[in-house]
Amino acid sequence: MMKSDPLLKIEGLRLKFGQREVLKGVDLSVEKGEVVVLIGASGSGKTSLLRCINLLNMPSAGRITIGGEAIYELDPSARDGNGVPAKTVNRIRSQTGMVFQQFNLFPHMTALENVMEGPVTVKKADHGATRKEALDLLSQMGLEEHVGKYPRQLSGGQQQRVAIARACAMHPQVMLFDEPTSALDPELVGEVMKAMVDLARTGMTMVIVTHELGFAFEIADRVIFLDLGTIAEDGPPKEVLLRPTHPRLKSFVGRFHETADLLRPFLEGG
Amino acid sequence: MFDISVILQNWPLFWNGLLVTLFYSAISIGAGLVIGLIIGLIQLTGSRTLTVVGRVYVEIFRNIPLLVILLWIYYAFPIFAGLAVTKFWAGFAGLSLYAGAFYAEILRAGVQSIDRGQTDASTALGMTYGQRMRRVILPQAFRRMIPPLAGQSIIQIKNTTLMSMITVPDLLYQASYVSSFTYRPMEVYTMVGVMFLVLLVPLTFLSRKLETISERVK
Ligand SMILES: Nc1ncnc2c1ncn2[C@@H]1O[C@H](COP(=O)(O)OP(=O)(O)OP(=O)(O)O)[C@@H](O)[C@H]1O
Ligand SMILES: [Mg+2]
Repeated sequence: MMKSDPLLKIEGLRLKFGQREVLKGVDLSVEKGEVVVLIGASGSGKTSLLRCINLLNMPSAGRITIGGEAIYELDPSARDGNGVPAKTVNRIRSQTGMVFQQFNLFPHMTALENVMEGPVTVKKADHGATRKEALDLLSQMGLEEHVGKYPRQLSGGQQQRVAIARACAMHPQVMLFDEPTSALDPELVGEVMKAMVDLARTGMTMVIVTHELGFAFEIADRVIFLDLGTIAEDGPPKEVLLRPTHPRLKSFVGRFHETADLLRPFLEGG
Repeated sequence: MFDISVILQNWPLFWNGLLVTLFYSAISIGAGLVIGLIIGLIQLTGSRTLTVVGRVYVEIFRNIPLLVILLWIYYAFPIFAGLAVTKFWAGFAGLSLYAGAFYAEILRAGVQSIDRGQTDASTALGMTYGQRMRRVILPQAFRRMIPPLAGQSIIQIKNTTLMSMITVPDLLYQASYVSSFTYRPMEVYTMVGVMFLVLLVPLTFLSRKLETISERVK
């Protein structure tokens, strides 16, 4: 049987900040419906990699395609190095949804307006239909009572769920999450994780940066360990998180391991 | 003794002066805002050349005293350019160019005070530069800019008195004139002060009100 093309394909990706190379040749393919979790020490380049996928960071070399279409392709003669025209970039960008650590909701808009903003402004979608869909999305996130509230009137967990709905409203092909629960009070982490697990169950393709290894274990089809700007390990969560080979990965998951060891008999028995 | 009849007898002159002051305040605030918007925004496009042009403009007009700018446009510029400049144009241009530099700084600071995450989030949705500015950045920045814009405009109204030095018949100019033939500077200049107070105290109050409102919506 022939394997279909990956939905997201990253080849030889490099990123520089000034003289400093933060990503040193990353190759990564994500299949449709796959949930990939990126882990790695602070400063290893997780955020940078995620931001390259929708070109919030402009790479210095490599190639990125989403749904078979290039969003970045090195062209040394172009001013920003990208051989893909800006118009195409904006269009493909809107096929990726991004959820940020700090939520980044638009504070001058209600929850509903935040969710409607993308389709209405970018896609010029019909106002009535967008509104209906936005209300649906917000109630899937358990926010039906808060649609008219401004971000400052919502808890962190609620804001992050609005942010997820806002990204979903664009019907992205892939969703990118950068430490979506790191800025939350512990008691609010669960509700956001649940929303993400629900989203994964709908078949959404997801790339998630998280330090919550238990959550990674639960949600991921694949876990990738990023180390010093390269992919050091890539495999199913059981392997990467429970039987790490890379020395730095071993110490990284050490903390998690102590608790996971207790679970191992159950995991392997199943 | 304070002789109010000096004022009453020459009230038409005061009244005309006040109208001239208000007229120049209004048109120079309007034109200054347009200039400020242009000069402020070109510094935010990311183009080096435009940023430098904007910076140079701002530094020139912020660092030369307004009185010098007015005298220069009225007396020196015509010699350089070889063309006549009327009082109206000298006053209007001087005030507007000067105000524009300050408004530009308020605008630039306002836009730059908006969190980077707002640009990230709107870019990630696929918005163009124009859409980001119009839908996300400027609406937030304008709210923050209301108090400093109001404050700068109040300063601008007071600054119009400098036009009396190039013989524009504003309130202060008319007062000097009345004083010159009545020999009653005490009554005349007290009246000018009172008229500015009556005009500006409510405006200051209003701008403080706007400040609390813009605090609330932040
Ligand atoms: N805009 C920038 N300019 C210069 N250097 C940057 C910039 N953004 C990130 N870096 C540097 O790039 C490296 C990788 O940063 P990145 O944010 O991708 O790491 P991370 O893996 O997400 O870390 P964390 O877990 O702390 O979020 C860091 O050393 C950081 O200092
Ligand atoms: Mg990060």
